[in-house]
Amino acid sequence: MLRTILAGMRARTARLVLSSVAIALGVAFVTGTLVLSDAMTASMNDGFAKTARNVDASVTLQTDGKPSSDKPETLSEDTLAAVRKAPGVAAADGRTGGSAPFLNSNGKAQSGSAIALESEPKLRPYDVVDGRFPQQDNEIALEKHAASNAKLTVGQQVTVLGKDDQKHSFTLVGTYQQGANTYGTELLLPQALRSLGQDGSAGYHEIVAMAAPGVSQQQLVDHIKTAVQGQKVKVITGADLTTERLKAVSSRAANFTTFLLAFAIIALVVASMVIYNTFTILIAQRTKELALLRCVGAGRGQVFGSVLAEALLMGLIASTIGLFGGLGVSALLQLGIGSLNDNGSDTPVTTPLSLSTVLAAFAVGTVVTVLAAVLPARKATKVAPIAALRTQTDSSEEVSRTGKVRMVLALLVAAVGGAAVALGLKQGDGGASSAVITSAGAMLLTLAVVMLGPLLVGPINRVLGAVPRALFGVPAKLAAANAGRNPKRTAATTAALLIGVTIVSLITVVATSAKDTVAKQLDQQFPADYWVTSALYDHKLPTSVGDKLAGVSALSKVAASTSVYAQIGTEDYREIATVPANSLGDLVRPTLTSGRLDKLGPGELALGQKTAETIGAHVGDTVPVAALGSNGKGTSAGPKQSFKVVAIFSGQSLGNALIAPESLAALDPQAKGYDNILLKVKPGVSLAEGRAAVDQATADSPIAKVESPSDSKDEINTQVNNVLAFIWAMIGLAVVIALVGIANTLSLSVLERTRESALLRALGLTRGQLRLMLVVESILMALMGAVLGLILGVGSGWLLTKSLSTAAMQVDLSVPVGQIGVLLVAAVIAAVLAAALPARRAARTSVVAGMAEA
Amino acid sequence: MSAVVSDVGTRTAVTARDLVKIYGKGDTAVRALAGVSVNFAAGEFTAIMGPSGSGKSTLMHCLAGLDNVDGGAVHIGQSEITGLADKELTKLRRDRVGFVFQAFNLLPTLTAEQNILLGLELAGRKPDKQWFDTIVDVLGLRDRLRHKPTELSGGQQQRVACARALVARPDVVFADEPTGNLDSRSGAEVLDFLRMSVRKLGQTVIMVTHDPVAASYADRVVLLADGHLAGEILHPTADSVLSALKHLGDV
Repeated sequence: MLRTILAGMRARTARLVLSSVAIALGVAFVTGTLVLSDAMTASMNDGFAKTARNVDASVTLQTDGKPSSDKPETLSEDTLAAVRKAPGVAAADGRTGGSAPFLNSNGKAQSGSAIALESEPKLRPYDVVDGRFPQQDNEIALEKHAASNAKLTVGQQVTVLGKDDQKHSFTLVGTYQQGANTYGTELLLPQALRSLGQDGSAGYHEIVAMAAPGVSQQQLVDHIKTAVQGQKVKVITGADLTTERLKAVSSRAANFTTFLLAFAIIALVVASMVIYNTFTILIAQRTKELALLRCVGAGRGQVFGSVLAEALLMGLIASTIGLFGGLGVSALLQLGIGSLNDNGSDTPVTTPLSLSTVLAAFAVGTVVTVLAAVLPARKATKVAPIAALRTQTDSSEEVSRTGKVRMVLALLVAAVGGAAVALGLKQGDGGASSAVITSAGAMLLTLAVVMLGPLLVGPINRVLGAVPRALFGVPAKLAAANAGRNPKRTAATTAALLIGVTIVSLITVVATSAKDTVAKQLDQQFPADYWVTSALYDHKLPTSVGDKLAGVSALSKVAASTSVYAQIGTEDYREIATVPANSLGDLVRPTLTSGRLDKLGPGELALGQKTAETIGAHVGDTVPVAALGSNGKGTSAGPKQSFKVVAIFSGQSLGNALIAPESLAALDPQAKGYDNILLKVKPGVSLAEGRAAVDQATADSPIAKVESPSDSKDEINTQVNNVLAFIWAMIGLAVVIALVGIANTLSLSVLERTRESALLRALGLTRGQLRLMLVVESILMALMGAVLGLILGVGSGWLLTKSLSTAAMQVDLSVPVGQIGVLLVAAVIAAVLAAALPARRAARTSVVAGMAEA
Repeated sequence: MSAVVSDVGTRTAVTARDLVKIYGKGDTAVRALAGVSVNFAAGEFTAIMGPSGSGKSTLMHCLAGLDNVDGGAVHIGQSEITGLADKELTKLRRDRVGFVFQAFNLLPTLTAEQNILLGLELAGRKPDKQWFDTIVDVLGLRDRLRHKPTELSGGQQQRVACARALVARPDVVFADEPTGNLDSRSGAEVLDFLRMSVRKLGQTVIMVTHDPVAASYADRVVLLADGHLAGEILHPTADSVLSALKHLGDV
């Protein structure tokens, strides 16, 4: 029997190669994903382990959860000295750092944090990229991305902002790269760092030590413990430190792996569908051959077994090819991710191949292939041998209609999906659960459509076929008839594409809607031409910036506002923003749900809807408010003041409450500086002129950042587009597999229809028309999948935006027509490519040879 | 009947001159046609006969422009078809030639009516309604027009194929073992129709067959053996054909 199988496989090499391509691609994608996640985990591990490099013992403060003022927050210089003196210690260094914004080559501030450089080179978790490490107090090294973003090069002077934005100048002597869990941007000698005067830079958050030769890590830890006896510190070995650090990383890497695996699963589902479909066709075409085997005495089991054995063999070969292809896919993905990262790729491309990846590849490739072969094989062996010998591949039996069971099941799935969508929408809290329920429902509806596919093929084919029929006449008419002749096969072929397109369009629609909603909100709530904010999150704009801008003649309105954290009613940590009287209703336009807000007098307050609901306040009520000190860091509340609620507004970008600037002084006398300054250009002055004037007025304030609504929108657009590009690329692979599926089906159909093609040629169909016929058929199949996928994707996207909408924030559906057009055009082009080989083959066959084909 | 036969030679539908067709190369080369010259008169029903491997199907393929030749010339009407490019051959088949094959004559995706009109549609020609009706009625296909091929019996399928071959009024209809897959009654129906299309409708039919009974429907039988013309029989009967075939080896 094995000889028969092998002989059969040799004879059908071409057909087997086709289906192997689908398997290999599927396997390649899954392996690619797994290898990629291994590579990323490895590089993250490398990065995270870097901080423990050469560390034999680590000393940190023992924390009991709550920081309090009477306990030291850092390890002192004395502790470091004690550690250094402990026996067995070859070298020890304290690690510390502090916020230290620096100015880029344009003189604008960039947030950053400086880290004290270890004196012992071996204990430095950094590697020099360019230049060297600082050796003197006036020298600085920059993290390489920070340096390139700020356009600073070695040899230049770098200005670092210390306490109270005092400027300190350093010479840039080198750039470096660091591990994944180190967030510093600058390296300074410890004394230089302290000279910046930042809080917390006095002590160390960690002391790391290296053992002298012959001293084990445990011995070192014991020595240090003795040396620092009585202090509340934790001393652990370097090995434990590494383990601890890696534990932190694994959860982060796991997140990304899960994300990638989701795409791998999509690819796998698509690949399985393609493999299953290919096998179904392959076996349908071989029904006669299998029947002949039965006639000459092969048992049912033997035939069944032979089909499965063939699938197994094919799966093994294709999996092997796919496995190696996966390494390539992974390398490509790493390059892609690297280029998406505007910092450029840090890590070299690696392709670690773990045993579990190999196992997964073969499991996916062979198991899916064998499973895909089981149903068709069973069908092939169930028929009486003679009946099978007689059946034509295209008999009505083969083209049987969708089963009743399938229909009932599909309707059930659709009903459950519909109910879930209804439930998700009804919940309407815009929260995660409502979105999850809605998306689950939308997925079920998609599944129902896939199940009902064979029923939908006919009508959709008729509609889609109308255009090419009108354009290309008979060949297109024949193509439409061919696309619709075996609804099950067509549905199975297009389902793979449908799934890919559904996901892509769903994500694109939701992302675009979110993007546009945010942009619209920006326009609505801040109709300013420009605004000035602080480039550093923990620095407020000095009031001098506001004063200067107020003097700019090109501006018609300058509205500076600030915010404090306060206790409103019973709620802690609510952000109260000030609104200058001149900007209310003009530059700041909150959407009111109740009350009036033409002006905010002293003692009056407008409440955000959510806060109002939480504390149960209504318009006309009086609520107690107490400031929590600047940035809410203070633990004791300021004096309590009573505010009258005059309005309740919706939206999230304005904070939790609005008051007049005058009220703030009473609430928090220490509050100084601004959060942002909204600007409006005078009528008659062009935006560019206005911008120039604003830029000039803020030139000497490094932390002032001028932005326009379009800047913010651009920023959001870039972010969303980057994410979308990545997702398109990931799903793109699944779509490629789906298109290989179309090529597969088409090739097999061409083989199956050799005589039919010959007949058509005999009747006067030219070679070109025959090719055109196959191309149109391919396009029709691709469009069926793409159009249905688009409808489902956009529909699901619409449901999802509805479920994400709340009364406070309405997410409007916006369909990215351009991107969807690209998708459709791509589907058509890909379909033409998919048809290229089969069409060539069909057209090349001579009429006589074709007619002779059994 | 005699009137038709007396027309022979006055107008030729298809002519072959010194046709040579070689399969394979070198030592394994087989001369399927070794210089065959034969005329087929218009308005005549001719059967090409010969044992397996005699080259009868090859001859038909070459006559119909389905296969290219290695020597000699074929004319359909006044035009030479040997040496034509594929595109011109396709156009020729579309406009001037009809086919009835042994099996798989119809496209499973189209109804009987669509199948009948397929050739005309490909040529972009409007069907002659009256002619279409005549053919459909003669073949008794009126109530089968909306059926798909899988819903038709073998005989019905072959009759649809005949209708398709004739509906464009081609110069010549080539039939390749048209009854090979049919039971004798259905076969007789198809052959009756082919004969009638010649006698009553003035068509020209060239049929390849190995069945002496089928050949007896023709006006003339051309015998082929080993790629050579081996004689002809006018007004054949099943018996005369059978005995001629028996003596082919002596030629």
